[in-house]
Amino acid sequence: DAKKYKFRTMRQSLLDAADVLDEQIDIFTEVIQKHHNLKASDIGDPTFQQQSEVYTVGRIVADSVSAEGSLNVDSLAIETSRSTGIGRRIRLNFEKVQDLSVFPGQIIGLRGKNANGEYFVVEEILKVPYLNFPVSDAETLQNSQITLNDQAMKVVVTAGPYTAANNLDFSNLADFVERINSSIKPHVLVMFGPFLDITHPLISTGNIPEFPSLKQQPKTLDEIFIKVITPILRRINPKIQVIVLPSTKEVSSKHAAYPQDSLDRKYLGLPKNFKCFTNPSTFQLNEIFFGCSNNDIYKDLKEVTKGGNVFQRNRFDRVSEHILEQRRYYPVFPGGIRTRKIEDKNGKPIFEHISGADLDLPYLGLTEFVGGIIPDVILIPSELTHFARVVQNVIMINPGSFIRPNGGRGTYVEMSIEAPDMENEKMTKVEDVYLHNLWKRSRIDVLTA
Amino acid sequence: NGMDTLQPLETTISDKERFRDSVPLELSCPNCITKFAFGGIVASRYYRCVYSGIQCSNCDHIMTPIQVTSQVERVIRAHISLYYAGWVTCDDTTCGNVTRQISVYGKRCLMDGCTGIMSYKYSDKQLYNQMLYFQSLFDLQKNKLQTLKPLYHSGDKNEPEKPLSNSEVQALAEQNRPLFETSKQVVQKYLSDCGRAYVDMGSIFDFMQT
Repeated sequence: DAKKYKFRTMRQSLLDAADVLDEQIDIFTEVIQKHHNLKASDIGDPTFQQQSEVYTVGRIVADSVSAEGSLNVDSLAIETSRSTGIGRRIRLNFEKVQDLSVFPGQIIGLRGKNANGEYFVVEEILKVPYLNFPVSDAETLQNSQITLNDQAMKVVVTAGPYTAANNLDFSNLADFVERINSSIKPHVLVMFGPFLDITHPLISTGNIPEFPSLKQQPKTLDEIFIKVITPILRRINPKIQVIVLPSTKEVSSKHAAYPQDSLDRKYLGLPKNFKCFTNPSTFQLNEIFFGCSNNDIYKDLKEVTKGGNVFQRNRFDRVSEHILEQRRYYPVFPGGIRTRKIEDKNGKPIFEHISGADLDLPYLGLTEFVGGIIPDVILIPSELTHFARVVQNVIMINPGSFIRPNGGRGTYVEMSIEAPDMENEKMTKVEDVYLHNLWKRSRIDVLTA
Repeated sequence: NGMDTLQPLETTISDKERFRDSVPLELSCPNCITKFAFGGIVASRYYRCVYSGIQCSNCDHIMTPIQVTSQVERVIRAHISLYYAGWVTCDDTTCGNVTRQISVYGKRCLMDGCTGIMSYKYSDKQLYNQMLYFQSLFDLQKNKLQTLKPLYHSGDKNEPEKPLSNSEVQALAEQNRPLFETSKQVVQKYLSDCGRAYVDMGSIFDFMQT
């Protein structure tokens, strides 16, 4: 429900934030209890010294409150909910666990024992079940088949920034729009911000260049969007549906927090074929569920790992599984921050805050997967190298930045999705509905922007 | 814990008092990269307001409107992002715990045995006042009445030699009207989304709904 994202920002209450953090543990306690057939009485308080093993659910936290930055297997603790352990924390001992990948903010289920009151020895990490996949009935699938005229659906995905770090030149974007219209011709174009990044170096110094194409120079950053970026976007063929998601670094968003309200289409002068969506958002194109989030979880999720089996796997796969398991697009807590080391007046080094995940904690519920299902495809742009991978039958995509900071061409993603065909072995029938099996029907190309 | 102690009505306190903890608006000259605190149409060793805008005293460059408003907006967003970094701090001076971790009880300190109360280090009230401060700098009326928070204490080594005359301020304010109004709108853009600026009447009168 997009209206829920219209909350006013800059008014976090610590108590509301704590309620959400507590609730997250309670929700997973129920999920884990049900999945592993545990009785409510089997869930115990790990912070107490006990003779017997208990099952417990809590949040992975650093064992020291001052720990920022890198953690290791010996510096982790579990935080209990108000109801299981009156919010107390206890250090974790993972000696008996062979393989693990955990991160601060993760809600985890454990079996183990606190024999000495000092720490909880983990015997087993309990599996958190994945949510179900969306399914469609025959009629819906037939309709998409007819809509697409049996052709593949083409979806193009781009993510900002759209200029280099040393200029505000949008000519590559303009060229791309030409290619979209003349050769790429997608049905749908999904564009992630930032279009104009508030942390752009030229904005911090006020060194905004002249825009030679404009008679009257813009007086504000919003005017740069409206006078420079909008005219380029307006050239996109109106038959192409364009979906725009903001970034918390987007200049033209006054809602600088995640979850984030959509951009104002009318104010920015974007035409009717543009749909401005919230960040994150889930939407359907024909039968297919798209989950989109524009907060760099692939960069910010810093795992603590152990075991050869874990190391052998691709990190993007592990992080993707964490996202799917936690059922939220940004499960890390506290969220990532970016700072810069500078000197204060007396020459002492201090850290200047630049940007961050900007989590509005009381509203984190809006960042959970919608409707109790896993989307068929999840798009989460990241500063890290582009990728497209199938993880637990979900297509996970990072289109990469459209332009690299040094001005080099970045990447974009082209998805080509076969129209659903119920006669085809690619669809799986479950009773009288079908799994979408998007991962069997899609081809994904990462191309030079 | 501001709510429990007796305080004067917010609207009756002077800007100087209200903006006591607000940090200055630091602008940087796009031409010579000199940084200076901007305090409105006031005397400064680093900049002067001239009829055509804000001029850097070091290199005489006059900043274009976008060179001013882009920096104002960048500074506001940095403040909002710092607010959302969610640093919390313990009120027990013997503890002084500063962290971004939050207990499921919110106000409980996570240090062993500490009974202090946690609160946001950068509070929403502070952020709101900070933005009102930025807005005041571009408020023509406040500039003309010369009620802005002073940039320097007397005795500061950077204190300007003499203040601007009243007639200078009046004239400069009018001449810079477009620039100041545009800049003020940039601040207003964020104030309009700030939860602190609005009282949720719905929740206040919750008890009346049964």
